[in-house]
Amino acid sequence: MTPETQQHGVVRRVIATPRFFLAIVIIALVIFFGSVKPAFFSGPFVIAPLLTSVAIFTVVGLAQMMVLSIGHMNLAVGQMASFGAMFMGMSYDLWKLPLLVGLGIGLVAGAAVGGLSGWLVARTGVNSFIVTLAMSFALIGLVPTAYSALATGSAFIAKPSGLDVIGRDSFASFCFAGYCGPNAIPIIVVPAIVVMLIVGYLYARTRLGRELLMTGSNVKAATLSGIPTGRRIVLAHALSGLLAALAGFFLASSTGSFTPGIGDEFMLQSFVGPILGGTLLAGGYISVSGTFLGIVLTLLIRKGLDLFGVGIETLNVLLGLILIIALSTDRIRLLARRRSVKRVQQTDALLIEGNPL
Amino acid sequence: MNRSAASFFTSQNFTLFAIVIVGAAALGVTSHGGFFDSISVTTFFTFLAVPILIGLAQMVTLAVGQLNLAVGSIGGFTSCLAGVLISSLGVSPWVGALSCLVVGAVVGLINGSLVVFTRINGFIVTLATMTILLGAQYGLVGTRTISSTKWESVYALGRASLLGIPVIFWIAIAMAIVLRLAFSHTVTGRHLLASGGNPIAAGLAGISNDRSVVIAHTVSGLLCGVASFVSLASLSGVNQSVGGDWLLSSFAAPIIGGVALTGGSVAIFGTVLAATIVRLVDSARAELQLAPSWVNFVVGAVVLGTVALGRFRAVRAARRIKQPVAGSSVTIVESAQ
Repeated sequence: MTPETQQHGVVRRVIATPRFFLAIVIIALVIFFGSVKPAFFSGPFVIAPLLTSVAIFTVVGLAQMMVLSIGHMNLAVGQMASFGAMFMGMSYDLWKLPLLVGLGIGLVAGAAVGGLSGWLVARTGVNSFIVTLAMSFALIGLVPTAYSALATGSAFIAKPSGLDVIGRDSFASFCFAGYCGPNAIPIIVVPAIVVMLIVGYLYARTRLGRELLMTGSNVKAATLSGIPTGRRIVLAHALSGLLAALAGFFLASSTGSFTPGIGDEFMLQSFVGPILGGTLLAGGYISVSGTFLGIVLTLLIRKGLDLFGVGIETLNVLLGLILIIALSTDRIRLLARRRSVKRVQQTDALLIEGNPL
Repeated sequence: MNRSAASFFTSQNFTLFAIVIVGAAALGVTSHGGFFDSISVTTFFTFLAVPILIGLAQMVTLAVGQLNLAVGSIGGFTSCLAGVLISSLGVSPWVGALSCLVVGAVVGLINGSLVVFTRINGFIVTLATMTILLGAQYGLVGTRTISSTKWESVYALGRASLLGIPVIFWIAIAMAIVLRLAFSHTVTGRHLLASGGNPIAAGLAGISNDRSVVIAHTVSGLLCGVASFVSLASLSGVNQSVGGDWLLSSFAAPIIGGVALTGGSVAIFGTVLAATIVRLVDSARAELQLAPSWVNFVVGAVVLGTVALGRFRAVRAARRIKQPVAGSSVTIVESAQ
């Protein structure tokens, strides 16, 4: 699908994407919130927390996007985050390891548990959502059990040097020649941007990324063209687990402690971001910037509702509705792509291939 | 072809049955017989009704190759709605309690219609409706608990018993029997299985897969409504936590019970037995005074193991099809993978 779209004019291509639409909506919302509630532009109290959650949830969205790129899902994204974060907490609290070593251990743990899901999917051929759902169940039980056994008060609170810098500082604490950075921009956006760039580079410029997308758009064709699809599936799930663990780290660094509750709110957001941004559920097409914009939009709405004093329950209802609307547009986009097929009875690729219609 | 009846004598259900017996016996021994006194037996069966019902609710969607993440939130939302209807709007207790069934079925119908309309994985659709309903449930009750004293007559049903076993357990069993008959003896039931087993073949045979999906989600929602009704009758009150812990057990029961995750098969006795096993694990947890997360861990690990073992089931099924013995739909489905 990507080569097709590349043939269109650049402008038309940009305008036709959901990203363009998202950007317009985001700008409109910012203007609306800012004009109705001037407090919205308060740097340290509104913008900085908003950007912090954008940074965290963008990584969550990218974790989901990794598996969506091969047409799979990761329902355990939140639990993988809490699993990875648990190892980081243990590294800092029990083993007194420095920041980066603990981070590495946690990321490896996340990647391992993700890779295990991927391996099970590739080996058994069972649907990824069932495998990852089962994985999430096992981890939902394991993580709090381990916390209650190992941590006092069910949280690891030891802070290695540097953790607060990543999670809580803004550019205001970086001064150069008497000029300090804005306090509205937290440090945490830097690693998030780096992650976005790396993921974007992976898909746009590397052979590996292309192979992942090929696997996503048509497993059979990919296998026949010599791509080791089994290994790519494991890789996508492992990277998903790794990014989930990284998001868990970001969340823990911003709240200041490692708890079993990390990742509880990840699952819905992880799907809403990529889907709004144009990533296809069916696999084979991703958008890093779209995922970012999708996350920005939902968190912006959340922050706006906060400012208007609207409760969390309304937010849930809205998020669910946004997801359904995004789904319907996903469907419409898909239909537009397949306009040549007169009557698409099912999205099921099999049916389209094998149906005499 | 009579899979449900025949499967009772297959190894999986015998294994499950043996685990139930051994587990119950072990619990009886560790509790020095306390597990078998009448209060404890009544409690056991009272709180077995909901796991069976939500397991069946999940099983119906699995049968057509769908799933329903909103099981818990449909239950929570409908029970809270019934609570609010009775306590705040003065609706009579029975009408309010039975509204759970109607609302549950309507939500299921909406789920099914959305799946058919958007053509997107039922998982995502039900994830969205789950979120919406959780918000709505919280919006209805907030942080308060509506006490069951408002619906004494319904609550009395929760404590009534027949032949020494709570009536609400019999309700769950009745639902299982109805489902069993529906899947084996009605045209619609066979259509659902056909759509789940092989949508292309079913479509070519003139079965509307869309209709099957909508019916399965509606029945699933209805069963969640029954579970919610049972909760109203057995819990001392309803609040935002009702339904919060239903998701795992709703999947655990059919998966451990032997339902093919790819659709096309049901295992009603297996689901009921597996729900009983999960309930036993929960009882054991209470007996040994472990943290509730242990149950999740054990059940989750078992589910993961069962899913991983699906490979072996598929291999076995593939062997079976080479020497055709019984043309049960499940063998065909699994070998197609």
